[in-house]
Amino acid sequence: MKAFWHRLVAIVRRRRLDRDLDDELAFHLAMREADYRTDGLSADAAREEARRQFGNVTHLKEQTRDMWTFPSLESFRQDIRYALRTLRKSPGFTFVAVFALAVGIGGNTAIFSLVDAIRSRALPYPDPDRLVQLWGNVQRTRVERRGASYPDYLDWRAQSKSFEDIAAADAQWMTFVGSDEPERIQTEFVAAPYFSLLGVSPARGRGFEANEDDVARPAPVVVLSDGFWKRRFAADPQVIGRTITLCCAARQYTVVGVMPPGFKGLSDTAELWVPFALYASPATMAARGSRGFVALARLKPGVTLATAQSEMDTISRRLEQAYPNTNEKRAVEVSPLAVELFGNLRPALLTLMAAVAFVLLIACANVANLLIARSEARRREIAVRTALGAGRGRLLRQLVTESCVLTMLGAAVGLILARVAVATLIAQSPVTFPSFATPDLDTRVAVFTIAVSLVCGLLVGLVPGLQAQAPDLSSSLKESARSSGGRQSQRLRSALVIAEVSLAVVLLVGAGLMIRSVRNLAALNPGFDPQSVLTLHVSIPRTSVPPAAPAGAEAPATPAPAPRPVVEGRVLLDRLRAIPGVAAATLANGLPLDGDGGASFYAAEGQPAVNAQNVPRIYVHLVTPDFFSTLRIPVVSGRTFNDAEISPTSQVAIVSEGVVKRFWPGQDPIGKRVKFGSLTSSSPWMSIVGVVGEVKYRGLPQNPTADPDIYLPFADRNSLLGIALRTTVPPSSLIGTVRAAVRAADPSIPVYNIATMDELVSRQTSQSRFTMWLMGVFAACALMLAVVGIYGVMSYLVSQRTREIGIRLALGAKGQDILRLVVGNGARLIGAGIVLGIAASFALQRLVSSLLFGVTTADAAAGFAVVILAAVAMLACYLPALRATRVSPLNALRSE
Amino acid sequence: MGETKKATAVGDMLPGTLDMLILKALSRGEAHGYSIVQFIHGASRDVLKVEEGALYPALHRLEVRGLLRAEWGTSENNRRAKYYRLTAAGRRELEAEAAYWDRVAAAVTRVMQTT
Repeated sequence: MKAFWHRLVAIVRRRRLDRDLDDELAFHLAMREADYRTDGLSADAAREEARRQFGNVTHLKEQTRDMWTFPSLESFRQDIRYALRTLRKSPGFTFVAVFALAVGIGGNTAIFSLVDAIRSRALPYPDPDRLVQLWGNVQRTRVERRGASYPDYLDWRAQSKSFEDIAAADAQWMTFVGSDEPERIQTEFVAAPYFSLLGVSPARGRGFEANEDDVARPAPVVVLSDGFWKRRFAADPQVIGRTITLCCAARQYTVVGVMPPGFKGLSDTAELWVPFALYASPATMAARGSRGFVALARLKPGVTLATAQSEMDTISRRLEQAYPNTNEKRAVEVSPLAVELFGNLRPALLTLMAAVAFVLLIACANVANLLIARSEARRREIAVRTALGAGRGRLLRQLVTESCVLTMLGAAVGLILARVAVATLIAQSPVTFPSFATPDLDTRVAVFTIAVSLVCGLLVGLVPGLQAQAPDLSSSLKESARSSGGRQSQRLRSALVIAEVSLAVVLLVGAGLMIRSVRNLAALNPGFDPQSVLTLHVSIPRTSVPPAAPAGAEAPATPAPAPRPVVEGRVLLDRLRAIPGVAAATLANGLPLDGDGGASFYAAEGQPAVNAQNVPRIYVHLVTPDFFSTLRIPVVSGRTFNDAEISPTSQVAIVSEGVVKRFWPGQDPIGKRVKFGSLTSSSPWMSIVGVVGEVKYRGLPQNPTADPDIYLPFADRNSLLGIALRTTVPPSSLIGTVRAAVRAADPSIPVYNIATMDELVSRQTSQSRFTMWLMGVFAACALMLAVVGIYGVMSYLVSQRTREIGIRLALGAKGQDILRLVVGNGARLIGAGIVLGIAASFALQRLVSSLLFGVTTADAAAGFAVVILAAVAMLACYLPALRATRVSPLNALRSE
Repeated sequence: MGETKKATAVGDMLPGTLDMLILKALSRGEAHGYSIVQFIHGASRDVLKVEEGALYPALHRLEVRGLLRAEWGTSENNRRAKYYRLTAAGRRELEAEAAYWDRVAAAVTRVMQTT
């Protein structure tokens, strides 16, 4: 053990040991020399004699060094040196092999670094594996995911024992009113234990106390993010205790803490935190049926997810019995935080990981093929070395060392490629990675790369190494260098070509399906016309000057007396409509694909009895009359609102087709009535005046739930408004003008989320496009490598069979016959590969189906991909075949 | 060297003997390689001639095995020299080897004296 340690140290300190040994031996020689001098010898004679007495210095040094080092390691060094020399001697081979491996290994490294970046340990919180989110689920026609209500949350907290603590949290926009322009700030409403639960404590000041998070008496306190503190307070150390104004309630909040740099909350975008007790009005907070937020929790050490889930199941059953009205069919889903934050990236990245692994396999098959060809050419060399006494194991080790040197070179180049690729991927990626998940070529990635390249080296080295088993010494030595390889090796190489082709088919089919899927997505009708539409959101502050009380105000969320908006929404809209280039404009409380909006239960007049599973639910939108014409949402029957109906008291509604299909199929829905809540609720009836087409309001390609939409006349009750402008000029060219127009209306109105509707649409499909793009790149790499492989094998085959071809030509075969012979040979391999590849594609379909939209494996796009591959592959055999027909019989026979 | 005395290279003797001689030489205190050679020469009255170079692989082997410890020091004529010293393990090894040697030598002697 000790000796082993000494030797390890010696590897590191080799230079030093060498120098010491030199000194030591020199000292000995000098002493001996000096003794001879005193005996009376001349200087020269003394040195001569001392050396003779000493023996062979070099040999002894080597012997001594062996004491310190691992002799096997030394021979390994020799092998590497030898391998490098042989590789240098055939630069063409080395270049092709290293390039193929670099593409394969580099691609794998790049994707691995992305996958690695979204592992659960990447969460910037201590013990992230114990962090979970608690979602409220409801069993309808299928299980749908919802939030929690405050009373439910309090019961979960009080009754559960699986968690260290539970904290309600939800992010919303608030307007910060400072000295300069008002600014929209992402604010998280969080329960008091939130920070300690995450394991992050404020860098200055403190978090929230339990008594500040009391719905009866919420304390207006706020915690700032490091970025906000630096940006708006110039990192003022005296900030604790100051007050800031957040609206729209125009409330003063006292700063109690500043979070450390990098902390942006669960939403990854938050800059402010306020107590959860301020989340909604006390009435809403008290309503068990008003669900909207997700609770964060930390499992106690040693408690499993399953234990927590079953405990929460018990609690939800108890609540269901206690509150059947609100909690029937309600359950709680305990979901790991990492899954919530990274889950949507995972399937795409894992598919890409598989794809890029295929590319590497093809590269390995290529290199193995090249190595087999080489090992055949080197049969004589190997036979000579065997004859000189090299053992089989030793030879095999030599071959594997060579291939490992190759793959390590490939890995080195691949790492450079990966570096560039990762930077490009991150820069180009439309998919946003969480800010803390920074893909990087760190140690873990490097270890992965080295491991991958060693495995590849072993694979590609062992194949030709084992295949060159038991060379018949005498025949090998007698054989000419050009003689064809054995039958066995030919079969192996054919198998490799078939494997390459089939892997390439799988990738091409995958890419074809992705491309088709993205095209399907692009061609998808979202239910409105997204072209030439500019969207923006404004938040109209309210002044606290009491207005004339609106008659019949019914919104419980707005405290009476309602403060008056600084500008009426419709006045603002008129200003925007006047901008040259704006053809139409509309206001709504939310626009399609803007991520806002909520749903309510409703009842239709004369509907059959409903239960918790099929209680009708509908998404509510408040719109101005020109909403449908501006967004070009088709009106199926009836009419849209008229200006007179734009009032808080009008009881008219427009519904989407889904409502009609459910309750009045085949009937005229105009004049039918619906109301919010159940049939017996106190809400007023609303008459349907029009029916419009279904809109993909909440997501592409599908709304997350199939619930329809209801449109009500816009009334200036909301301060957060979505505005859509249909333009006659490119919409993005109007951004500056629109901002200026809003500022002119009132400088205190913040404008945010300005984007063209096309951008909103393309954001929905960005991940698909990203995946498609990468799949395309990988498939192209696979195609290229496979073609190079086929070309190489066919060329080699032709050169090996030159003699046979010469004889055939001499015996009267025509060029065409030869062409058919060679191409036919290749076509058989390609055909077999394609068949296998298609079979594999069907088998792997399941893996990608979640990423696809509107395509199956049997898609024409897949067929097209196969045709491309077949064509290119046939070309790769045709060229060598053509060369074969030009063989001169005379030369061919003489070439022996 | 001398024609009259028949010198024996240590390596020609029983295997392991050189190691034992080195350990013995160092049992008298620390020494550098050259003085070990001289001790073996002198003590054996020039019968045992170490091929001087062969000493060093042996020394390093013993050091790797932890029987010796080496340190750089200054020689009697003020040169930098590597001094070797027995470790506790080296001392035990020497005892074991010496006992073994005694047994073997006595056995060989008995064989040779048997008439």
